[in-house]
Amino acid sequence: MLEARELRKEFGELRATDDVSLQFGKTEGEMVFIVGPNGAGKTTLVNLLTGLLEPDRGEVVVHEEENGSTIEHEITDVPPADRVNSGLVRSFQIVHVFEEMTVRENVRVAVLSEHGRTLSMRTVDDGHEDVERAVDDLLEQFRLEEIQDEVAETLPHGDRKLLDVAMSFGLEPEYLLLDEPTSGVATQEKEYVIETIVEASEADDVTTVTIEHDMDLVKEYADRLVVLHEGRVFREGAPSLLETDAELRRVLLGVDE
Amino acid sequence: MSRFLVERDGRTHLRLMEGMELSRNEALLAVVGIGFLLAVPDIARVTPLSFAVFHQGILFGIAALGLNLLLRHTELVSFGHAAFFGAGAYTAAVLASHYDVSSGLVLLAASIAVATLLALLVGYFVAGYLDIYFALLTLAFNQVLFAFVIQSQFFNYSDGLRVRPDGLNPPALFGLDLGTTAYEIVLYYFTILLLVVMLLGTWKLVNSPFGRALDAIGQDRTRARFVGIPVEKYVWIAFTLSGIYGGLAGGLFGMVQLHVRPEPVLYAFVSGEILFMAILGGVNTLAGPIVGGIVLVYLLNIARFYVEYYHALTGIVLLAVVFFLPQGILGSLPMIGSGLERRRDDPGLFLEDVKLVLGSLRKGVTRAITTVRIIIFGVN
Repeated sequence: MLEARELRKEFGELRATDDVSLQFGKTEGEMVFIVGPNGAGKTTLVNLLTGLLEPDRGEVVVHEEENGSTIEHEITDVPPADRVNSGLVRSFQIVHVFEEMTVRENVRVAVLSEHGRTLSMRTVDDGHEDVERAVDDLLEQFRLEEIQDEVAETLPHGDRKLLDVAMSFGLEPEYLLLDEPTSGVATQEKEYVIETIVEASEADDVTTVTIEHDMDLVKEYADRLVVLHEGRVFREGAPSLLETDAELRRVLLGVDE
Repeated sequence: MSRFLVERDGRTHLRLMEGMELSRNEALLAVVGIGFLLAVPDIARVTPLSFAVFHQGILFGIAALGLNLLLRHTELVSFGHAAFFGAGAYTAAVLASHYDVSSGLVLLAASIAVATLLALLVGYFVAGYLDIYFALLTLAFNQVLFAFVIQSQFFNYSDGLRVRPDGLNPPALFGLDLGTTAYEIVLYYFTILLLVVMLLGTWKLVNSPFGRALDAIGQDRTRARFVGIPVEKYVWIAFTLSGIYGGLAGGLFGMVQLHVRPEPVLYAFVSGEILFMAILGGVNTLAGPIVGGIVLVYLLNIARFYVEYYHALTGIVLLAVVFFLPQGILGSLPMIGSGLERRRDDPGLFLEDVKLVLGSLRKGVTRAITTVRIIIFGVN
């Protein structure tokens, strides 16, 4: 289980994250969706959890099952790369891929890293068969085989998003934090992107935390909903809250009913 | 097919080692290149080609090869790599003149060791910085070292030190008793051997997962961090490795010149030149920096006799490269090759070329006339 304990982050006068306490993955493979209006602090929360930002106060804690008992690891000061290597992985709202590499090379970098192979002196084409197999599997899973030799910067936006997510799965996450995986993706493809993510995370029991603006997708796929508003947790619960909670609808949609 | 020849996409490739294959053109270039390097001492005997200058060029090229690790892969611009070249050269000089160390191999090993330590130290401080900050920090370290050496009695100020262990003879090589000419030639072939080893090693390095990780860091640092690559640590390692090249080259340079002074090996201009060699030869090629090193050192040496402000030549060549050969000398070969091939098939294209040149000339002249007219008569 991944836990935020009273996380706080201020940018000047603005308190972007205001004493947020949340738990993700109470049940293994849980799909949590974070929603909230612009400026609610969604991305800041993800940045704090993954180590891109340091909190002003509060802790990030991972609970692990070992020999039947649960052990707490405080990871607030652990650098991002080490968090990734221990299973806490993220994707970005604005796609971050290695632009000059092909799709296959991009995925390969992630898999090499996951397999602890980055200091190996055997050349990439030589003797990393397990890596290449894992790359093949990922390309198939995310339906990227046909464009595997295309350079990332030449790809259409939707494919770049998928590539970003495929790389994240290549890191064999236990917790995967996805910052708007469908932003900028054409409406008819959004379903496809989320569907692919759901399939992949169910296959590996990955706990996902997804920031999403499309409420139809949230209703359809969320196990649990977290609503942030002005840096605070505004609501937490079943996705059906979106239908029943009038105040929530007002905050999210600005609609008076 | 045999062990050394493999088929790839219907073309025959020469296989040098596991995973290292050269296309027909690349193999041809490599053979011609190495054959030429081996023949240089003989060519120099019958032509005005200066063998010593050529040797210097290769050595600076090796330093540029190391610099290119950072430039091409982590995409960091170092303006301070003369520090490692100079450290290598001065280590050889200090050991030879102050401590009478006479074995060339010991001098060279010490040069590499000192440059490595220096690169570890500098790398530790600069690894977390990017872009202009990285460039300026490396430049600053370089200048500090230069200022320290040129004002230090131990390093004999700007006069420098000799690399003659007993004050007279050059260092010993492999226990051989050599005259001056033989010493230079043995050292030259030793350099070529090391050069080939460094090129193969560099190839292996950049095509290893570590090389891919450096590429990743260069292309998107944030993403590299978030695929689990310890970015600062890897940049530090890459920086140290690139310093090793400089130390090796500098140590050999000291042994070739037999005298080390601060300006030619430590001055920040030299850092700029090393950087320029990589760009001139072709950043995106393996052997480009070597070609760039040879060409630039040679140009600077020839120009010295013809032009008073010969350093301006660097600037002019740099401009020419940026405008006409943005991929550098080696990097542009494929383009030039395919261009020539097209023109062989269709000679009419030559006419187009001539038209293009004349056209741009005419435009340039018109523009110059307009400018002069405006300067003299004003805009009307």
